[in-house]
Amino acid sequence: MLRKANSFPEEVLEHVLSFITNDKDRNAVSLVCKSWYEIERWCRKRIFVGNCYAVRPEMVIRRFPELRSVELKGKPHFADFNLVPDGWGGCVYPWIASLATAYPWLEEIRLKRMVVSDESLKVIAKSFKNFKVLVLSSCEGFSTDGLAAVAANCRNLRGLDLRESEVDDPSGQWLSRFPDSFTSLASLNISCLGAEVSFSALERLVGRCPDLKTLRLNHAVPLDKLANLLRGAPQLVELGTGAYSAELQPDVFSNLAGAFSGCKELRSLSGFWNVFPGYLPAVYPVCSGLTSLNLRYANIQGADLIKLVSQCPSLQRLWVLDYIEDIGLEAIAACCKDLTELRVFPSNPYGAENNVSLTERGLVSVSDGCPKLQSVLYFCRQMTNAALVTIAKNRPSMTCFRLCIIEPRAPDYQTLQPLDLGFGAIVENNKDLRRLSLSGLLTDRVFEYIGTYAKKLEMLSVAFAGDSDLGLHHVLSGCEKLCKLEIRDCPFGDKALLVNAAKLETMRSLWMSSCSVSFRACKLLGQKMPRLNVEVIDERGPPDLRPESCPVEKLYIYRTIAGPRFDMPGFVWTMDEDSVLRFS
Amino acid sequence: MRNYSKDSNYAAICCQMMKSYIWIQTTDGAIQQVEQEVAMFCPMICQEVIQKGMGSSKNCAISLPQRVSPAMLSLILDYCRFHQVAGRSNKERKSFDEKFVRMDTKRLCELTSAADSLQLKPLVDLTSRALARIIEGKTPEEIREIFHLPDDLTEEEKLEPLKNTTDDPRIRLLNRLYAKKRKELKEREKLKDVDTEEEHVDDRSVDDLLSFINGGDGEIFFSDSKGIKTSKNKKKHKKRKDLQKCAPSNEAFEMHKKESNAASSLCHNAEVDHELQSSLSEKLKLQDAAGEIFAPTVEFDDVDIDDEIDPALKEEIDREVEDFARILNSDWPERMQELLSLGQERRHTHLSVNGNGALKGHAIAYFNASIWFLPLPVI
Repeated sequence: MLRKANSFPEEVLEHVLSFITNDKDRNAVSLVCKSWYEIERWCRKRIFVGNCYAVRPEMVIRRFPELRSVELKGKPHFADFNLVPDGWGGCVYPWIASLATAYPWLEEIRLKRMVVSDESLKVIAKSFKNFKVLVLSSCEGFSTDGLAAVAANCRNLRGLDLRESEVDDPSGQWLSRFPDSFTSLASLNISCLGAEVSFSALERLVGRCPDLKTLRLNHAVPLDKLANLLRGAPQLVELGTGAYSAELQPDVFSNLAGAFSGCKELRSLSGFWNVFPGYLPAVYPVCSGLTSLNLRYANIQGADLIKLVSQCPSLQRLWVLDYIEDIGLEAIAACCKDLTELRVFPSNPYGAENNVSLTERGLVSVSDGCPKLQSVLYFCRQMTNAALVTIAKNRPSMTCFRLCIIEPRAPDYQTLQPLDLGFGAIVENNKDLRRLSLSGLLTDRVFEYIGTYAKKLEMLSVAFAGDSDLGLHHVLSGCEKLCKLEIRDCPFGDKALLVNAAKLETMRSLWMSSCSVSFRACKLLGQKMPRLNVEVIDERGPPDLRPESCPVEKLYIYRTIAGPRFDMPGFVWTMDEDSVLRFS
Repeated sequence: MRNYSKDSNYAAICCQMMKSYIWIQTTDGAIQQVEQEVAMFCPMICQEVIQKGMGSSKNCAISLPQRVSPAMLSLILDYCRFHQVAGRSNKERKSFDEKFVRMDTKRLCELTSAADSLQLKPLVDLTSRALARIIEGKTPEEIREIFHLPDDLTEEEKLEPLKNTTDDPRIRLLNRLYAKKRKELKEREKLKDVDTEEEHVDDRSVDDLLSFINGGDGEIFFSDSKGIKTSKNKKKHKKRKDLQKCAPSNEAFEMHKKESNAASSLCHNAEVDHELQSSLSEKLKLQDAAGEIFAPTVEFDDVDIDDEIDPALKEEIDREVEDFARILNSDWPERMQELLSLGQERRHTHLSVNGNGALKGHAIAYFNASIWFLPLPVI
């Protein structure tokens, strides 16, 4: 057989592809040519569907016959801030039902912001003989009954992660449903569970699973019992404590400190609800090896907090409340030279006045002292353009920058100018920026900067910003890699949207709420763009009861090859060709 | 006098006879000897020797598979020669491998292929990983360029993957519209006995149509067709008048078979609260499996409803569509002017509505503001 000497040896393509697992790379491979498309689809093991309504399960099943792992996302990101009304959608059952018949050997299901019923969990439990990993991130709709089914039936389960989900807790006994012979658990995250779980069942489970590396407990696990668990699992790498307070008793303390010392592999700590500072030194033995510390819910303040973080020179990821203050951030800048991700959350977001001394200076210090800083989420109450420019110049390698100045439309507090220049500097210097959240007083100018410089930006979150459609137009026409755009309370209307309609098909989704997009424009978009679902979400009632020029409450546009969905609640309408007739 | 040189020669010959060689014939016909322990490192050669007794002499030299050129054999033997030595540390081996695999892409491809045909798994892994690293992070165009692969996926096929990577929105729009037109023509064919309507076939070339779209004469692209009668056959009525003129020659597009089931999978939802669903599913079953591009709106095409659209409304839609088309196709500076003038009255309306809305909702907005980027606490 004569072959071109420089062509790719296709007989080994499948083997080569076994070393390529990244989704973007697999997608690129599938687009190279017909034969690669075919070979790739037959050996694809893992699929990520960023919007469960963009494609139908049958389509995925038809194209990828050998999947072992499926990841789906449902509601838009702004659902986290209560902007998506209950009942909007994102129900996973149709997917689970299809996957159950198509892939008896499916091993992993990861869901984010989806509505998961107990029935879905029961189907999962019964359908997949080799099921290994279930991750339910920010999901809802299920109770511990569903979890009990998973525990009882999934003999090879390795991971059960319920991070940030809302779970109904009729029975705390579901942990006991793991059979005594079950020993394969490697990761368990029950931190979101409200009620108590049976501690003895938990202790036995932890004790009999030698591969358990991740254990995130819920609030209800008392501190005085923590030592028992740790002693049963000294191989733990990631631990989330329960409530971290008890009456200070020397024997409890020494027991706990001893248990922590025994965990030589511990690299990540979280939990720390209701901290009693007297018990903090118990974790000091593990601090030097910690790469990740999540104090998001920890009410530790002042010196205690600074002392704790100063003992962690290997930290790469730190999530902390603004109790850290500028002074604490300076300490971190001095000590945590490997820091790549910093998130500072507000301790008192609804309060009008400032309760902590956390300003722009803290972030500037960290940007100066931490050369590997890539990802920032920072809540604060004041900011200046100068500070942002300094941060941008200090750290030109950031990939994620989310600044949340709590007061909407807050200007540079020194010059009273909009923060356009500051954010402009951020996008201009950080050429690899993939995610950006804006806040403060911003004009159309900032969007011009973003459109001009943020060429790798994939996700942008905007609130209370801009003057006119020109702002939105700059973003839609300039940001070539834009994937997700979410906007609230901005004066953006029809024009920019209609002019850039084609752009919307190259993005995963666009969310606009409390903006000025008219019902008429929504209809037009829906009619003209068949590969977009244009959803109008309006709890005031059907949009055709108001004038066409009236802005819709919320608009969610996403590209899809699945057509309009049919599981919409009464307050959601899909704009399509029919809507012209339905609404006229 | 003793001939010492003869003695040492004799010794040398004896030594040589102790060492075993395997006879191998490369694809160019040349036959060579390779040290046994080196050659036997390759499973394929090992098999030939042990199972078929080949390779012990020049006459029964093992013929190598075609994919192993003499140059590749030489490389592979270097690899085997190094790795078959027992005493080496993992670090040494790794270091050798890293240097070994540094070569141009063409040779790497050849080597992978050769190693695969000799079933030398460790080398196949090594070279495959190297090829994977080359592929990672590249766009499809770049990959095609590096490996000289054909660009034979059609635009529609490129759209099917879950992540859309095609760039030109106009091409996509064009393809979609072509697809719809194609489908429409097919429908008409099937229902020929039902309807005696005259077909309006557009036989402009792809180039012509493209120039319409790009040239800004969007009016024709989106305007009414005079050829389709609205009242005759309800099933045939196309609400999207803008598509009437866009029929490509069918040869211009190649349909990928995988799209065939797309249409049938469209009638998926039993719970569709649509009285037309049954007639619609009938329709869809008629479609030819071998050729349909998937288009999401196919469920709503040719729908059997009372489609006597109020002509005033129709006119308005057409006008809107023309506006939209012009906007879409013109250059930005012109567009901007247009938008500004178009939008003047609308803006005022919006402001008044918005003004109230904003004021009324202000307190709420303010209240919500502080949590607008704050994730919900878990407890």
